[in-house]
Amino acid sequence: MFTTGRNIARIAILALACCAAVQKPPSGGSGAGSDSIRIPFESFTLPNGLTVILSTDHTTPTVAVNVWYHVGSKNEVPGRTGFAHLFEHIMFTGSGHVPYGMHDKLTEGVGGSNNGTTSNDRTTYYETVPSNYLESALWLESDRMGFLLDKLDLAKLNAQRDVVKNERRQSYDNQPYGRVSEILSHATYPTSHPYSWPVIGSMTDLSAASEEDVKNFFRLYYAPNNAFLAIVGDFDSAQAKAWVTKYFSGITRGKPVTRPAAPPVTLASGQRLVFEDRVQVPRLYIQWPSIGEKSDDRYALEVLGSILTGPRTARLTKALVYDQQAAASVSMYQGSNEDVGDFVLMITPRPDHSLTSLEAAADAVIEKLKTEGPTAEEIRKAAAGDELSFLRGLESNLGKAMTLCNGAGFHGDAGFFRTDYQKSQAVTADDVKRVANKYLTHGRIVLSVVPIGKLDQASKPGESKKVDDKMPSAEVQR
Amino acid sequence: MKQKTSALKLLGMVLGATALLALASIPLLSQQALDRTKTPLPGKAPELRVPTWTKMTLANGAELMVSEKHDLPLVSFSLTILGGVYQFEPANRRGLAGITASMMSEGTKTRDGDALSNAMQLLGTTVGVNIGTESGTMSFISTAGKFAPTLDILTDMLLNSTFPTAALERLRAQRLVSLTQAKAQASSIAGRVFPRVLYGSGHPFGQNVTEESYKTITREDVVAFHKQYFQPGRALIMVTGDVNPATVKTTIEKSLAAWSAGGSKPNFSYPALPAAHTATIYLVDKPGAAQSTFAIGNPGPPRSTPDYFPLQVMNTMLGGLFQSRLNANIREEKGYSYGVSSSFMFGKGPGPFRAGGDVQSAKTDAALIEFMKELRGITGSRPVTDEELATAKDALIQRLPGTFASVSGINGAIAALWTQGLADTYYQSYGKAVAAVTKEDVVRVAKKYIDLAHLSIIIVGDRATIEAPLKATGVAPIVVLDIEGNPITNP
Repeated sequence: MFTTGRNIARIAILALACCAAVQKPPSGGSGAGSDSIRIPFESFTLPNGLTVILSTDHTTPTVAVNVWYHVGSKNEVPGRTGFAHLFEHIMFTGSGHVPYGMHDKLTEGVGGSNNGTTSNDRTTYYETVPSNYLESALWLESDRMGFLLDKLDLAKLNAQRDVVKNERRQSYDNQPYGRVSEILSHATYPTSHPYSWPVIGSMTDLSAASEEDVKNFFRLYYAPNNAFLAIVGDFDSAQAKAWVTKYFSGITRGKPVTRPAAPPVTLASGQRLVFEDRVQVPRLYIQWPSIGEKSDDRYALEVLGSILTGPRTARLTKALVYDQQAAASVSMYQGSNEDVGDFVLMITPRPDHSLTSLEAAADAVIEKLKTEGPTAEEIRKAAAGDELSFLRGLESNLGKAMTLCNGAGFHGDAGFFRTDYQKSQAVTADDVKRVANKYLTHGRIVLSVVPIGKLDQASKPGESKKVDDKMPSAEVQR
Repeated sequence: MKQKTSALKLLGMVLGATALLALASIPLLSQQALDRTKTPLPGKAPELRVPTWTKMTLANGAELMVSEKHDLPLVSFSLTILGGVYQFEPANRRGLAGITASMMSEGTKTRDGDALSNAMQLLGTTVGVNIGTESGTMSFISTAGKFAPTLDILTDMLLNSTFPTAALERLRAQRLVSLTQAKAQASSIAGRVFPRVLYGSGHPFGQNVTEESYKTITREDVVAFHKQYFQPGRALIMVTGDVNPATVKTTIEKSLAAWSAGGSKPNFSYPALPAAHTATIYLVDKPGAAQSTFAIGNPGPPRSTPDYFPLQVMNTMLGGLFQSRLNANIREEKGYSYGVSSSFMFGKGPGPFRAGGDVQSAKTDAALIEFMKELRGITGSRPVTDEELATAKDALIQRLPGTFASVSGINGAIAALWTQGLADTYYQSYGKAVAAVTKEDVVRVAKKYIDLAHLSIIIVGDRATIEAPLKATGVAPIVVLDIEGNPITNP
């Protein structure tokens, strides 16, 4: 999943997102059996369509509030790319009854935090606060859900447009290899496909966004019937329900939302690209189109990724980094968007090892796995780390709130984490072999990123087409 | 960038109660209309609950502290060594501590690197070794049931590592690639040049790892560093989570039985700082850069300064929060940046004050003017308001309970008292100490520790487009440096 957020400093916490805590297990017991973990939540829907999920955990006197809207860059149209994320920034500029700055004062200013992140498929906003500030957090979130347009401030919109352009410069344009995800998405998906453009958008489109765009987008997508609210932490359930009703029930239901089609893609044949970047060391990226959040093949693909790269015994890591000592690093992952996803491999070479030879070496390892399948021990190792990861996720109210909202939003079930865990644990060697053969085919994008002027450092340079994207420094000179 | 999704992907398992409540069970709205203009007032503040811990000493002299937390079957373990790179690494072997830490995963007398890795994977965890500037740790988080076998792996790495030469060569080669890659990244360049300019190459704070230093490190260096460094006489073992203190002591005594007494806590004496120079802009060229990376600052006080709490409050107002002066102005009002901030790095030595962030190239001069305006402001030209002071204090005081949410958070919070030599009652008295800070304190410490006349202003950006506008600001003279922080003689 690709996400981009309001404030870079706080994104790291999202990586811990996970499930929820509960029962006191036997002290010093013989390990965490799966029955020792629970998320006790309750869920209800207001008449205006807002789905509400409550989960109490009194371990720490704090509360996390997460409001999840089912809208992301997927819902944009060409010419207005980046709008969902720009809109996320506007949600922090004040609303009908909340002056600008109050949101930060009542969250970060009382020892809590807030942020928003936008992905291809959803936009989510959160507050963490001391538990005695839950009511004001609900007041803040309800006001911008119901009354954002009452105080839409054009000067603030324009300042945020500049901020987002700087977010793009900082995270993409001015980062070595920062343009890669954009290039790969563009190459993998046809231009009409909603996953073909980056969440951050283009500079030109960001400049084009108008006040009218903001209003239309808000009315359609920021209605309660397109939203999910999770409250997790130290609160009284009855009191929280009363506050939720008080602040959210008066907000009007919006029109039904039509979801854009984001069909799976297959690439009939491979495509080879080379991109010149301001880097010192070349890198090889290989992207295979795969499946998304809703396909069960995702579980086996995630296990496949951990069998191929990660710990030193993972097959590609061991072969390329340790045995052949041809790569400085190698990594691979399955990225699942709501509808479809990508399986991506990245290799950084050591000096005197060509990307061409590394591509061949990686392919040999992958072919062997496709033929033989993984060992039983590889499957056991992949499953072993899950339990600890899940338990650690239970330590974060915010992580639990995100987990519950993702389940409710993407799968119609806030308790989807159980299914997800069970299916992850149930992956077999045959499953992994099957998905490796199904997805890791010749229909892939091979992208070499090389230092400027070093096109010959690409993998098979003669067969690779140059990406003639303009380098970013050309824009916005005084 | 694409993010690995599996971490985001949740899961726990068995569920408690999923109640799909009937709408009728939701409390009805009271009849009076809701007045949204009224900001809801906070309820009664929750009581601060500071974790408690038990202190013990092992036979070999290492200190042991155990803090119980039983709501989840998790354990956080850390073995902290007092002193780090600056106390134990020779100046001509920069990078040795880091390489040694990595080498401890490369094999023991009974297990090669792959076997160690497999054993940890099957336990679902990893033992991390990290040696920082003033302390180092070996640590892991495990489920309660896997604590003892994971500890045995840590012990094996601590006492029986073999440091194979082939592994050293591989690690060296990998790190050289990383150093090369970092030359293309503005934040990495600023991160190396800033301390070099502030402290000079004669002070450990100003000495960076270089290709040359990596190339000189030998296996003998690694073996000697390991032997000298990892001594129980300067160690704290901290265990937090679902454990019993007496049982855990027995487990640790047994596992670490062969770790024999030795070593003592280092003193943290540092050489004198180089003489301060007048405020200067140090410009590092990054041709074609879309943004300019700023790092503005000077050496600061150690953690032991009596001005610690006023400094924390002052910095929170200046650049510690989203709505702090720097970010409110340069990001939110002007839109020049995705985010700017400031910080003090508090430790045993004179860690730096640093303000900065990444700024759109075309606004480099305008941003510099705003940075300087805010630094002048906090040192007296812009009065501190009651609201600013109250918000900064509230943010600091009420943040504390959240740091005790996880076993690793508690573990780190308690271990920090030991490494910094703070009282056991520190967290209980923290709120009172923050609350006592006055406006006068804020201005006084800003004037004392932000030395406007001698600031170092490091800017990494596209020299061709930013040098003339920077010069025109008249803020300070410009010196052009290379990416290692050396003056360019023929600019």
